[in-house]
Amino acid sequence: MPRRKLITRYQDDLSLFPDRWHLVGWLACAPLALLYPFLASDEWLTVGNLALVGVVGSVSLMILTGFAGQVSLGHAAFMALGAYTTAVLGNRLHLPAFVLLPLAGAVAAAVGLAVGVFALRLEGLYLAIVTLGLIFLVNHALLSFPEYTQGLTGIAVPFHTWFGGEDASSIHEPVTLLGLTFTFERKLYLAFLALAALVTYLAKNLQRSATGRALMAVRDRDLAAAALGVSPARVKLLAFGVSSFLAGVAGGMFALQQQYITVDPPFNLHLSVQYIAMIVLGGLGSIFGAVTGALAFTMLQPLLEEVGALIPFLSGLTRAQQATVLFSLLVLLVLAFEPLGITGVWLRVKRYFAAWPFRY
Amino acid sequence: MTTFWQLCFSGLALGVIYALVALGFVVIYRASQVFSLAHGELLTFGAFLMTSLSGALPWGLSLAVTMLATGLLAAAIERGVLRPMVGRPVFVTIILTIFIGLLLRELVHAIWGADVRGMPTPWDPARSIDLLGAKVLVNALAALVAGAAALTGFFLLFQKTRLGIAMRAAASDQETALALGIPVGRIFGATWFLAGAYAALAGVFLTMFPRQVDANVGFVALRALPAVIVGGLDSPLGTVLAGLLLGVLELLAQGYVNPHLGELGHDFHEVFSYLVMIAFLVVRPHGLLGSKDVKRL
Repeated sequence: MPRRKLITRYQDDLSLFPDRWHLVGWLACAPLALLYPFLASDEWLTVGNLALVGVVGSVSLMILTGFAGQVSLGHAAFMALGAYTTAVLGNRLHLPAFVLLPLAGAVAAAVGLAVGVFALRLEGLYLAIVTLGLIFLVNHALLSFPEYTQGLTGIAVPFHTWFGGEDASSIHEPVTLLGLTFTFERKLYLAFLALAALVTYLAKNLQRSATGRALMAVRDRDLAAAALGVSPARVKLLAFGVSSFLAGVAGGMFALQQQYITVDPPFNLHLSVQYIAMIVLGGLGSIFGAVTGALAFTMLQPLLEEVGALIPFLSGLTRAQQATVLFSLLVLLVLAFEPLGITGVWLRVKRYFAAWPFRY
Repeated sequence: MTTFWQLCFSGLALGVIYALVALGFVVIYRASQVFSLAHGELLTFGAFLMTSLSGALPWGLSLAVTMLATGLLAAAIERGVLRPMVGRPVFVTIILTIFIGLLLRELVHAIWGADVRGMPTPWDPARSIDLLGAKVLVNALAALVAGAAALTGFFLLFQKTRLGIAMRAAASDQETALALGIPVGRIFGATWFLAGAYAALAGVFLTMFPRQVDANVGFVALRALPAVIVGGLDSPLGTVLAGLLLGVLELLAQGYVNPHLGELGHDFHEVFSYLVMIAFLVVRPHGLLGSKDVKRL
C-alpha cells in the first residue's frame, strides 16, 4: 500500500515527489491533460482554457496568501494590469504573445512591489482593505487614459506569434498535423497547458526551497521568523513581487483567451473573491490545493448552472446567479466543515486507505 | 461661496450615511473580531424591504419594521453562520462574509427582481430649502437629522446603559466578560442586530430622491471602508467623525478637484477617499482615534 514515508532527511523535504507513486500519479494525468482539447466539445474547451488561466492565477494568489499569509483582495487589479498591458502593447507595438506575457507580469510586479512596501506596515485586515482599494485605483487609472485603453468601450487583444507583423490572424487558422486538427482554441489550450505546468513547477520549487520555508515561517509567526534570521520585510516583498508577476501573466493569458476585454466586469472585487474561493476550496497552503481548486472552481461553474435550473426557488434568477448561490453555499460548507478544502478531503481518503482495515 | 455650502451640506448628508455604515463595521469588529463584508448587502436588503413595506404601512412604522427586520436578519446570520467560526482567523471570516453577501444579493434579486425603484418619502422628495444661500434638498436634511439621532442614540446606549457596558466589556476581553457573567453570545447578537438596523436606516436615507434603489446600492459599504480605517478600526467615535469628514471631502473633491485633473479627473472623487485612507495608513496606521497596536517579543 503506497503511503508517505516519514521525513527523516533534508533530501526528503526537498524532493519534488515524496515517493514514486506521486510521480506515477502525475504522469498518469499528463496524457489526459494533453488529449483533453481533442476530446472536449468547444464549450468545454473554452472552460478548459479558463481553468488553465485560473491555475496560474490561483497559484500566484496561493504564494501570497497561502504561503506568505498576506491576505490580498487586490488580485483582480494585478490581473487587470496584466491584461491591459497585453492588449495595449499588442496593439501599439505588435509584440508577439510570448514577449507580452512576461511584460504583463513585469508591469503588474512593479505595482505589486510598490504595494508590498505599504504592506510591510500593514497586517491582515488592513492589508485586505488596502488591496481592495487598489482595485478601485487601478480601474480608475485604466479608465482615465482612453487614448490607450479605449476606456469603457473595451479594447481588442491581438495575438501576434512573431515580431514585426500585423498578421494577427495566422494563429486563428486551423492546422492539421498527424491527423489532428489544431484550431485556435486547441493551440491556445496547449500553450496555456505548458505555461500552467511551468508556473506550477516553479511555484513548487519555491515552496520546497529555503525561500518557501521562509515565507511560511513569516506566515506562521513573523517575530519568531525574524529571531531566526529571516527578514520578514524582504520575504513579504518577495511574495508580493512573485505573486503579482504571476497574476499579471494570468491576466495577460485571460486577455489573449477573451480577445476583447473591458475593465469592469471582469476586473472587480468579484474576480478577486473568485480566486480566494479557488484557493480556499483547494486548501490553503499547498500548490496541489491551488491547482485542484482552480480546476474544480472553473469546471463547477457550468455544472452548477445546469443544476441550478432544477431548484424551484431559484428559477426566477439567471443561470449565472443560480450558480453563484450554489457556489456560495458550497464555499460556506467547505469553510465550516473542511477548512483544508480538497487537499483535506484527499488526505483523509489517503489516511483511510493507509489504515485499512482499521478505522482511522 | 454658495457652491461651497451646497457641497458641504450634500457632503454631510453623504457623510452621515458613511458614518452609519462604518459604525456597523466597527461595532461588529470590536465585539466579535469579524469584519463583515456582507454589510452592504444588508443595506440593500433594508432599502428594498422599505420600498415594499411603505405601500402597506405608514411611513414611520414601515421604517421601524424595516430596521427591526434587517437587524434580525443580521443577528440570524451571526447566530447561524459566524458563531461556529469563533476563534478562526480574521481572514476566514472575511471570506465567509463575502460569500454571505453574495447569497444575500441573490436573495434580494430573487425576492424583488432587478428593477430600479424610487424610495418613497412622506414629504415632497424634490423639495429643497435655502440655507446660507445654498439650495439643500429636504431629503439631505432628513438624512442628517435621522443620522444624528441614530448616532446620538448609539453613543447613549454605548456609554450609559447596562447593555452598552456589557458590549464594551465583551469587546475588550471575551473570556473575562464571560467569567463575570456577561452573556457574550447574546451580546454578539445584539451588536449585529444594531449594525443591521443601522445599515437599513442608511439604506433608506441613501436611496432617497436624487438616487434610486437598485441591487448595487450596497457598494456604498465599500466606499465607507476608508472611514473605518481613517477613524481607527476600534473607535466608534473616530469612525463617525471620519465618515462625516470623508463625505464632505469627497463632494468638495468632486466640485473643486475633478475639473482641474482633465481626463484623470473623471470620477476622481470616487477614489479620493481611498487615497486619503492610504495616506493615513502610511502616516498614522491606527487612525484618528484608534488604539495603537503594540507588539512584544
